[in-house]
Amino acid sequence: MRSFLLLWRREVGSFFLSPIAYIMSFFFLVVMGVGFGFTVQHLTAGSMSYEVLQNIYASFFPWLSVLIAVPVLTMRSFAEERKFGTIETLMTAPVSDTAVVLSKYFGCLLFYVVMWIPTISYIFIINKFSTTKIALDPGALLGAYLGGLLIGGLFVAIGIFCSSFTSNQIVAAIMSFAVMMMLFMAGLVSHISNIEWVARLTGYFSSLAHMMDFSRGVVDSRPVVYYVTSTAAVLFATIRVVEARKWK
Amino acid sequence: MIKVEQLTKHYAGTVAVDNLSFNVSEGEIVGFLGPNGAGKTTTMRILAGYLPATGGEIEVAGRDVFRESLEVRKRIGYLPENCPLYLDMRVDEYLEYRAGIKGVSPRAVRSRVDGVKEKCGLQEVGTRIIGQLSKGFRQRVGLADALVHDPQLLILDEPTVGLDPAQIRQVRQLIRELARTHTILLSTHILPEVETTCDRVLIINEGRIIASGTPKELEQNLLTGSRITVDIKVPEERARENLETLLGVKSVSTYMVDEWTVAEIECDEHEDPREAIFTSVVEAGWKMRELRQHKKTLEDVFVELVVDRNGGDGVKRSGIQPARSEYGGAS
Repeated sequence: MRSFLLLWRREVGSFFLSPIAYIMSFFFLVVMGVGFGFTVQHLTAGSMSYEVLQNIYASFFPWLSVLIAVPVLTMRSFAEERKFGTIETLMTAPVSDTAVVLSKYFGCLLFYVVMWIPTISYIFIINKFSTTKIALDPGALLGAYLGGLLIGGLFVAIGIFCSSFTSNQIVAAIMSFAVMMMLFMAGLVSHISNIEWVARLTGYFSSLAHMMDFSRGVVDSRPVVYYVTSTAAVLFATIRVVEARKWK
Repeated sequence: MIKVEQLTKHYAGTVAVDNLSFNVSEGEIVGFLGPNGAGKTTTMRILAGYLPATGGEIEVAGRDVFRESLEVRKRIGYLPENCPLYLDMRVDEYLEYRAGIKGVSPRAVRSRVDGVKEKCGLQEVGTRIIGQLSKGFRQRVGLADALVHDPQLLILDEPTVGLDPAQIRQVRQLIRELARTHTILLSTHILPEVETTCDRVLIINEGRIIASGTPKELEQNLLTGSRITVDIKVPEERARENLETLLGVKSVSTYMVDEWTVAEIECDEHEDPREAIFTSVVEAGWKMRELRQHKKTLEDVFVELVVDRNGGDGVKRSGIQPARSEYGGAS
């Protein structure tokens, strides 16, 4: 446990020391801000039926930027260690492969969470300046952020998994972007597919649809189980990949 | 301390280490000597628990390296080739982090880090960022990292590579000091390094140990027959006649410098005819201004064992001989 905490602290520390993380979170907020701007425009145009939270959290703006931010944040986790050979000093220290993988995962996840934190201010901004007070449902807000955490949790795990294969950060980023994009776009397939079972199946994987529910305050157990188990499965696979060098 | 038996390692299609067996006892400094690609790094990686062996038994401090990997890793300080470090960290920060994950208790971390910093001469760079340090300092940070948990065994893969001569001397000095309290296995392809630092040498080539012993033993056992130079004031022929009859002399070749004859004498195995040469020259009443034995060095052993072998193979593989005969046939 102690070695996990030390490894985790080092991961978090390396995020706050690297320019890439700051640049990425800056652009994330820029894109989020543009999305927020559109929301405000809609509100000022007077469309009262407008679902504010859904528009902020379940639109394309945040998720497109998450799809780019997560690969960029996770690509270095193992790829850089392999590139510089520090994986050798790391893995010959008396730490378990599991501790190494989990520390990298939770280090990255923490930065992902930090990236989202400033967006909370949007709600207060709307409430302060809007003449027609929107009923701010704390359940819906909590649901939205829970959804963001669950989906992000899976995406970060995928990013770390892709990074564990290669010593090339770009390859890691492209691989994880492709996988996340497929998962995310599964929702689109469910809209356009004529085949009943394909539409249903892809509907289950649709992060955007899940986010719609979450940001209404509907926390369905199915997506929760889906994200938690698949995150665990991807992390388990990552541990196996890191161990793979020891297979005879 | 280290017990390796019939260690074998295959990489997809190639044999990196082939049936390697050796022991290292406590307190020894053992040098792994071999050309690049001989299997030194692979062997060390396996010992350090980074790679698994394809076959064979390896014990470090009485524990199996693969089955009790974590326990073994606590007892080993490993400095990989090229000394990889986190370049974005400060020296103190890095050493404290490494001490922590290597299981040094939180209360002892500070004093351990200070201790190794003093040992490795890093006191003044504690707050510097590793990426901004020179190669010599980085190497010392790597050594300090290997030492920070006070391991019983140090495995150092080419610890002086890329350093300037002054730094090399410092690192060697440091290794010798460490040897008083640690068992050390170090690899190198630089010969003087082994001669000056190691108790015992294992020469390894193409994944196999081809010779082992103290540097002295290797010189004595492997390079039988030495060479002697004598410089006498007498015509060439008379000198040769006289010297060739002596016991222990295999062959004599001479050349003249002014009226002095310089004779190069090849000696028989394990023979030292210097005394006989001196007596015979004095008895003949000639003047002598030099009598010198050429000591063969570890470098000669190494070249004889490794380079000649590789060179011989190289000729065959490169196909020089068939090409020549083809040419001969055509003409």
